[in-house]
Amino acid sequence: MRIALCSTFVPFIQGGARNIVEWLQEMLEREGHHVERIYLPEVDSTDSLMRQMAAFRWIDLSIADRVICFRPQSHLISHPHKILWFIHHIRSFYDLWDSPYRGFPDDSYHRDLRDAVHEVDTKAILEARHVFTNSRVVSDRLKTFNGVDSEVLYPPVFDSGRFHCRGFNDEIVYVCRVEHHKRQHLLVEAMRHTRSGVRLRVCGRASNDSYAEMLTGLVAEHGLGDKVTIENRWISEDEKIDLLADCLGAAYIPLDEDSYGYPSVEASHAGKALLTTTDSGGVLELVTDGDNGFVVEPEPEAIAAALDRLYDDATLARRMGERARERLDELNISWSHVLRRLLA
Amino acid sequence: MKVLVVNNMAPFVWGGAEELAVHLQRNLVAAGHESEILRLPFQWEPSTGIPAQMLYVRAMELWNVDKVIALKFPAYLIRHPNKVLWLLHQYRQAYDLFDAGHTNLPSGEDGDALRTVIRGADNEAFAESRAIFTNSEVTRQRLLKYNGFDATVLPPPLNDPERFPGGQGEGYVFAGGRVNGMKRQHLLVEAMVHAGPGSRLVVAGPPDTPEDAVRLQELVERHGLTDRVRLDLRFLARAEYADYLNRSNAVAYLPFDEDSLGYVAMEAATAGKPIISTTDSGGILGLARHQSTGWVVAPDPGALAGVIDAAMVGARKGDDYGRAARELWQGLGIDWPTTIEALLR
Repeated sequence: MRIALCSTFVPFIQGGARNIVEWLQEMLEREGHHVERIYLPEVDSTDSLMRQMAAFRWIDLSIADRVICFRPQSHLISHPHKILWFIHHIRSFYDLWDSPYRGFPDDSYHRDLRDAVHEVDTKAILEARHVFTNSRVVSDRLKTFNGVDSEVLYPPVFDSGRFHCRGFNDEIVYVCRVEHHKRQHLLVEAMRHTRSGVRLRVCGRASNDSYAEMLTGLVAEHGLGDKVTIENRWISEDEKIDLLADCLGAAYIPLDEDSYGYPSVEASHAGKALLTTTDSGGVLELVTDGDNGFVVEPEPEAIAAALDRLYDDATLARRMGERARERLDELNISWSHVLRRLLA
Repeated sequence: MKVLVVNNMAPFVWGGAEELAVHLQRNLVAAGHESEILRLPFQWEPSTGIPAQMLYVRAMELWNVDKVIALKFPAYLIRHPNKVLWLLHQYRQAYDLFDAGHTNLPSGEDGDALRTVIRGADNEAFAESRAIFTNSEVTRQRLLKYNGFDATVLPPPLNDPERFPGGQGEGYVFAGGRVNGMKRQHLLVEAMVHAGPGSRLVVAGPPDTPEDAVRLQELVERHGLTDRVRLDLRFLARAEYADYLNRSNAVAYLPFDEDSLGYVAMEAATAGKPIISTTDSGGILGLARHQSTGWVVAPDPGALAGVIDAAMVGARKGDDYGRAARELWQGLGIDWPTTIEALLR
């Protein structure tokens, strides 16, 4: 089948949204499909938004047997066999309207623009043969704002067989971009309150040096140097596989994320218990407290208590890790499921 | 500098222009820049859909890009304050191919309106560009004739010149590259009927259609040339192709009225091989000069037979011509570092 994968991008910025597209391309090609990847520029500028939206309507992809659209506003592309794997709206016109992230005034011009965006989006989404999303959170938003039903299709990670469990050391790892909304600082602060021998390793590249400096400052200020390691650098895939294979458990505690996040799925494939917080959003679709990990209040003391329990109870850490792996199957997080559904 | 290469995409088709865009991007990175390729889908059938696709390219918004290098219609319609064109081609069916009667545009008023729209948008894009380069003199002349814009010729360099060091000739004329009627390998096979018994020919490359292959095979069999003409009609790995070329006495390349210098001739010159071509081969004559860098004769088997023989026996003359071809080529300064520098100047 000739399949066009359509998404949008900002040149020279490697956003995570490219992973889902490029991994799917690889999996489809392995199955013998002829795939064309189409990334079109999109800028969230209110002044030019309508013109940019019109552009998507004028693209002719009729030569493809099927198109699959991802990042906004690629869902506006017109095609008789359009499938959406919808990962988010232009959020400032949707769930972030009533938030400090809107970035423009709540006046009649922008309200009219919002209404027009909603109307056009809804029409284009309803053109699709089938609408998938990457999470329950996004499906709920589609229902609330556009009145559209959708099916959650969790994005798997690439070549999940690479991840494995070699044992359980005394370290909790947090492998992820180092950013304020990923809240590495909350974990570091939690380490002030642990009573066991549990250790913490935070690794990932910081997009902003001042946040990384704040983390190392926290470690120094509280004398945590012997139990906390901060590695502010790009971690290779092989290093990540090794870290997850040996660790005691993995943390993923972003603030109100849309989806469960690749770090938590990778840790699950490695058979490791997950630690997250009650306000982490989509991560809660994956993690159930006391089952495949812990879901605790976003407070240093509560996090510390959960870390101590994993350290003190080796059987619990192992059992939760096994459940983490099983949970992936329960949620159908696999490429075979994804391909079956997208090509149905 | 963040340099975005903007090219067309005919979905599910990969061709020479795509290959060039990839090498341009790689060489920009090698020169210390950040570079990505933006490929914009373009579907020219039906032709009535062309204006909508011109509009979508024009309506796109670019951000986080310092410079755009655009290659083809309609990709070059994209708006950017720092845009240069490296024009591979315009929509020829609205220009020279229209004049020649080869067009998919409707006749009458509708076709005239489409041509007006295309020319108008083209002229606007040319006027707003910081600089215009073309891939060949032919493209430059077309642009000048139809749109009144001058340009600098910047031929695409070879991507792997290191594969063509040359070497001792082993007694054959080599004809490489795609095999089809326009490239006229059949003239060379026919020439072998008239050539001396010591002359040998190797034709190697992918035939465009099965008929192109059958035509050559039948010629060889009919004239009993199987022991002097070798046909290797398939897609060759670059190493195999280069090996054939490096071990040849001379390289024959006689396409009909080609736009550019031609990769085959550029590779021959890099390897220091004399070039055999014909008087109507167009751009190839930029490198093939009669009795200087090789032989340029009329496109007929008799004339070609004479120069194939000359390439066999006149080894010393062939060496001189080959050296001259290499010197002429090197004097043109067509390499990636120079090209990148010109595009970003």
